[in-house]
Amino acid sequence: MAETTSNSGLLTVRLLTPDRVLLDATAEAVELPSMSGYLEALYGAAPLLAELGAGEVRLHGGSSGDQKFFVAWGFVEVLPDRVTILAETALHPNEIDVSEAQKDLQEGEKLWREAGDDGNKYDEANAVTREAEEKIASAEGKSK
Amino acid sequence: MANVLDLRRRIRSVKNTRQITKAMKMVSAAKLRRAQEHAMQARPYAQMLINVLESLVRRTDIYNPHTGKILHPLLIEREEKNVLVIVIAGDKGFAGGFNSNVGKAAQKFVDRRVARGQNVDLEPIGKKAIAFYKRKFPAANYEKTEEHYDNDLATHYEKIRHRAGQIEVAAEHPDLLAKTDVKAVSELAYSIIERYERSEIDAVYLVYNEFKSVLVQRIVVEKLLPIAELGAQNVESSVEPTQEERDAAVRAAQSEGISIHVPEASEMEEEAKKFGTANVDYIFDQSPETLFRHLMPRYVTTQIFHALLESTAAEHAARMTATDAATKNAGDLIDSLSLTMNRVRQAAITKEIIEIVSGAAAL
Repeated sequence: MAETTSNSGLLTVRLLTPDRVLLDATAEAVELPSMSGYLEALYGAAPLLAELGAGEVRLHGGSSGDQKFFVAWGFVEVLPDRVTILAETALHPNEIDVSEAQKDLQEGEKLWREAGDDGNKYDEANAVTREAEEKIASAEGKSK
Repeated sequence: MANVLDLRRRIRSVKNTRQITKAMKMVSAAKLRRAQEHAMQARPYAQMLINVLESLVRRTDIYNPHTGKILHPLLIEREEKNVLVIVIAGDKGFAGGFNSNVGKAAQKFVDRRVARGQNVDLEPIGKKAIAFYKRKFPAANYEKTEEHYDNDLATHYEKIRHRAGQIEVAAEHPDLLAKTDVKAVSELAYSIIERYERSEIDAVYLVYNEFKSVLVQRIVVEKLLPIAELGAQNVESSVEPTQEERDAAVRAAQSEGISIHVPEASEMEEEAKKFGTANVDYIFDQSPETLFRHLMPRYVTTQIFHALLESTAAEHAARMTATDAATKNAGDLIDSLSLTMNRVRQAAITKEIIEIVSGAAAL
């Protein structure tokens, strides 16, 4: 499959979670929510390894059309002709349970208040909050 | 001698039992297929994670330049004074020796460690294991202290462990098997890592049923922490099934059309092996050290996750084998009961004929 895509200028995009392979498609461009902000990979991109935060992976163009996935925490490898995303959580926007995310958000705020002087607990609380916020944003984005 | 009516009733009852065990066997076979598929699906991710970690190890200065020792806490060997043993059994019985065998292997390991004067924490997964250990050993007792500083602006919490015996149950996870969810496993992994980094425990072992295929399965005691070599299974000891058990498992699998061999690696898995190994200089979005630190807990998570998936597959396979044997036994019993019944009926008929004939002869 890599042979065919290398000529057409499309990236092979794969999205994997610990328990399943969620996506195996091609795209012209992929937006990725890295730890330090969104980055976009195009065909021929320089090899890159980055940690993912919480946010949306957005695919543009390609065989599958535009697609969006919510991901949280993981890693991405960008090679000139392929992008592989390893995510701890990955969901189709339709699969997101908003009320559950709201609960997580409150949980995150509660953790933050109770963190005391433990730096790790603040990080954990922030992680929970950010994931919940991004989840809600992603779920609402699909209704637009 | 039993009468025909009783025997007929008995046969009917055994027939019902056979139907039930047959149905259970089919259900187990279907569940086994799903569990195997699940385990396959989880493999690419684990493989890729290992690749990234390996390539990071090569690129980063996680070694101390003077001593050549690795700096990450999860890789450092300590003297084993307190050992955590995670025992993975099943939620339900009726699976032959599945639960008891794992329990036996765990007990042997624990006994050995206790004899060496080490403290053992048990962390059972699966309702059968939990019920067993909870009865036998006390639960770990933690005290949470609170200190206030600077006019209550900052609070400092500390957890203190009070040990009551040499063997204690550290935590239990009743729902982990019913729905093997990565998030729950990840929580477990982080809690273990936290205890490890606090030096509450010095080593972590997993005891579970490893299941590569119907033919390749065994009970292993595997060292989870500290990590000796990335991506390599660190087996402390293992128990292979007997030839008899293996034959029974193969017969059960074949009657349900389940392949007894290790499934072939999927295309995705082949691809996964290449992940992160391209001969190029990657740009790192974060420093390799940060990446490494963040990845290690995830590696531990996938190891536990993997053990859970294999144990689940093994449980279904064991139940399939057990119900297959039960079905076969029920069949044998029905045959022998039918034979007895026919004999009894024939005897009754013969007796009646003799009575008639001798009655006629007496006339």
